[in-house]
Amino acid sequence: MDLLLNLMVNGLATGMLIFLLAAGLTLIFGLMDVLNFAHGGLFAWGAYCGVWVYGMTGSFMTAIVGAVLTGVILGYVTERFIIQPVYGNHVQQILITLGLMLVLSEMLKVVFGPNQIVAAPPDYLAGSWQLGDVVIIKYRAFIILVGVIVFALVHYVLKNTKIGLTVRAGVMNKEMVQALGINIKKVFMLVFMIGSAMAALGGVLLAPYSGVIYAEMGMDFAILAFIVVVIGGMGNFVGSLFAAMLIGLSGAFMTYFVPDLSLAVNMLLMAVVLVVRPQGLFGAKG
Amino acid sequence: MLKHFNKSPVWVLISSAALILLPFVNDSRSLMIMITQIFILAIFAMSYDLLLGYTGIVSFGHAMFFGIGAYSTGVLLSRFEPTMLWLLVSIAVGMVVAAIVSYFVGLLTLRLSNHFYAMLTLALAGLFLVVAEKWRSLTLGNDGFTFRVPDVMRDRLSFYLICLILMVAVFFFLMRLTNSPMGKVLLAVRENEARTQSLGFKTIHYKLISSVVAGVIASLSGSLYVLSLRFVNTSVFALDVTLDALLMTILGGVGTLIGPIIGAAIIEVSHHWLSELGKSYVIFERWIIFFGILYILAVMFFPKGIVGTVKEIRWKKKRPSKVETNNKNKRIAG
Amino acid sequence: MTTLLEVNEIQTYIGQYHILQGVSFQVRKGEVTVLLGRNGAGKTTSLRSIMGLNPISDGQITYNGKDISKLATYHIANRGIGFVPEDQGIFGELTVEENMKIAMQKQDEETLARMDKILTLFPDLKTYWKKQGGYLSGGQKQMLSIARAYLNKNELLLIDEPSKGLAPIVVEKVMESIMEMKDETTIVLVEQNFRMALGVGDTYYIIDDGRSVGTGNMKELAENEELKRKYLGIA
Repeated sequence: MDLLLNLMVNGLATGMLIFLLAAGLTLIFGLMDVLNFAHGGLFAWGAYCGVWVYGMTGSFMTAIVGAVLTGVILGYVTERFIIQPVYGNHVQQILITLGLMLVLSEMLKVVFGPNQIVAAPPDYLAGSWQLGDVVIIKYRAFIILVGVIVFALVHYVLKNTKIGLTVRAGVMNKEMVQALGINIKKVFMLVFMIGSAMAALGGVLLAPYSGVIYAEMGMDFAILAFIVVVIGGMGNFVGSLFAAMLIGLSGAFMTYFVPDLSLAVNMLLMAVVLVVRPQGLFGAKG
Repeated sequence: MLKHFNKSPVWVLISSAALILLPFVNDSRSLMIMITQIFILAIFAMSYDLLLGYTGIVSFGHAMFFGIGAYSTGVLLSRFEPTMLWLLVSIAVGMVVAAIVSYFVGLLTLRLSNHFYAMLTLALAGLFLVVAEKWRSLTLGNDGFTFRVPDVMRDRLSFYLICLILMVAVFFFLMRLTNSPMGKVLLAVRENEARTQSLGFKTIHYKLISSVVAGVIASLSGSLYVLSLRFVNTSVFALDVTLDALLMTILGGVGTLIGPIIGAAIIEVSHHWLSELGKSYVIFERWIIFFGILYILAVMFFPKGIVGTVKEIRWKKKRPSKVETNNKNKRIAG
Repeated sequence: MTTLLEVNEIQTYIGQYHILQGVSFQVRKGEVTVLLGRNGAGKTTSLRSIMGLNPISDGQITYNGKDISKLATYHIANRGIGFVPEDQGIFGELTVEENMKIAMQKQDEETLARMDKILTLFPDLKTYWKKQGGYLSGGQKQMLSIARAYLNKNELLLIDEPSKGLAPIVVEKVMESIMEMKDETTIVLVEQNFRMALGVGDTYYIIDDGRSVGTGNMKELAENEELKRKYLGIA
């Protein structure tokens, strides 16, 4: 019982991190028709910059702000200088974002050095709560909490604000949004920046969770995020949450019981979804 | 389009004749080894060009097939006798496995959009890398293992010539394939898949053939690659391998076959040069950054590559005209 | 009467297809100008080119005396041109309310007054206010699309085949609404339904093979059997 619960909390925490990465990916894809292969790079940059700020200031909350800012800035630069010039050409976009991924992870090694960097949660988030028989590690609960808050916030914005409406409308019909007098390019940029910020947030949250960060972590997590995006349905924000939980949980349980197969199981899940429901498990009608 | 004035076969023949003679003129061992590597990588890059340049498919997992060939050869030669027979068997096994894998990957994703194929191949190659790392009893993981190769292959000169011959053979095979009626359909798929489909072609069928052929040839290059090193480790599955193929193809010129060969030469030579520089200047230790930046710039400003751009310039000189080929996804309205 | 929109010899490519090869027409303020012609003649592309959705490669589009041919679509829309596309462009997963909300550029008295007028004109929209656009009937979608374009104080509406695929009784309804809006707005209408075109149109232009080939008063066209047979396939 204790074990199952722990694995579950573990899985949900990992799932939330993957969600933060996948949500941006799926929103950007749905709206802009761009699959950003550099998204994992933003995740890694968030982690490194966050840990750096944490080390400089000693405040984990400042570190989170720093990571989010890093994401916003890198998101802006990426959208403006990498994505925009090749807008509308899928092949070029796919190729160029992968190149950016490479540059981003190599730049990490140049700026922060090629070695792994150690990170630990702040004191107030270290340790665990004991509830009867059950032990809940504080930091994991914190990750889940942050994930839920971000989800609720973005979900609220998408549902209830004009900008959210515009984003959802843009996913369905970009031309019409423009014909109604809205500059969709601005919306693109905003969504890209928010998506990048979420990725960077995921990165900095991961750091104390896994204990170490390394330049290739972006790609490792990006692969999980891709699987989530496929399972949840490309462009489906809510779907990405469920799929991320699914992948997180399956990862946690598999890692415990049959560690060697955990990635394979996720891949298999994705393959099954691709065959049975290529629009994703939570894909919209039509 | 531009294929009417294609003189590349002639050039390939002339240059390969020169390359046959080269070892007899210049007996630098390191030069010969480097050129052999170029031949092998050129085979790999050409197989990538079949996908990217001739079919318009973006694969981020081409390393997967390279690695399949590499491990088939490495494992079989280390487990059994290092004879020509086992070598051929190992290459054949690699090709068959690559064919099967590429067939199923294609079947899963080729009917979906380009994004899916790129993503799935990236993820699958990641999976292969993990499997290779975990299956230590077979692969010894990242440490890898050395193995003995047949005597013929031990001789650098004969290996050089074999690789050269194979590269030329692959070039002409792909040339033939892309100029065949099937190749025309592939080009049509690249230009406008929906229309090709409405003309009655089962495009998925053609895309599958293209991805299987590309996978098989990539596996061959992987086999040759580990033969040259007599060593194999998990790095053959790394993303860098795919990126190398991408860079070679794009820099040289997509959809030209000759481009990837030129690209392979440029990348391999600059690899050497940059790692040399890295010994004196620290920044060049991270030479991948330069390739990454070069690659981004090439995609952005130079999407036709060296060969494509040269062809375009010659073409424009011959007859100036304004042909618009972009915007292929827009619908035709009444 | 003054000219509101002038389309001058525009050329438009879609991919490598040369769709518009010299379309010209003038839209006078307060009129309903009808573009007629066979399927594939270039009527829809003409409207899309005005909106900047299929940018022109040559020629000129002047609106209110200013060249708008190089502007981005949203700029064009913000200059006061409303667009009702051929497929209505309804956001299927948004409710009727949200579809209207997204179109609403200002929330002033005037817009709210227009909203009231819309809801009296199309009571169906009020009934299905919270329903997703994708579940509306064809006629309701058409009304929503027109309503969306009419909501802002647009001087010009471009309406593409509003009668397409609708039952005759619904066509009547749509026609009525266009007549209603005619008082305050100039309209360019693409229409295959000749009866409807005749009912609401003032001036006609015939487009054939990507070119303007004829123009005149709508009432005169009704009697010109030759033109009708040659370009419109009706007798």
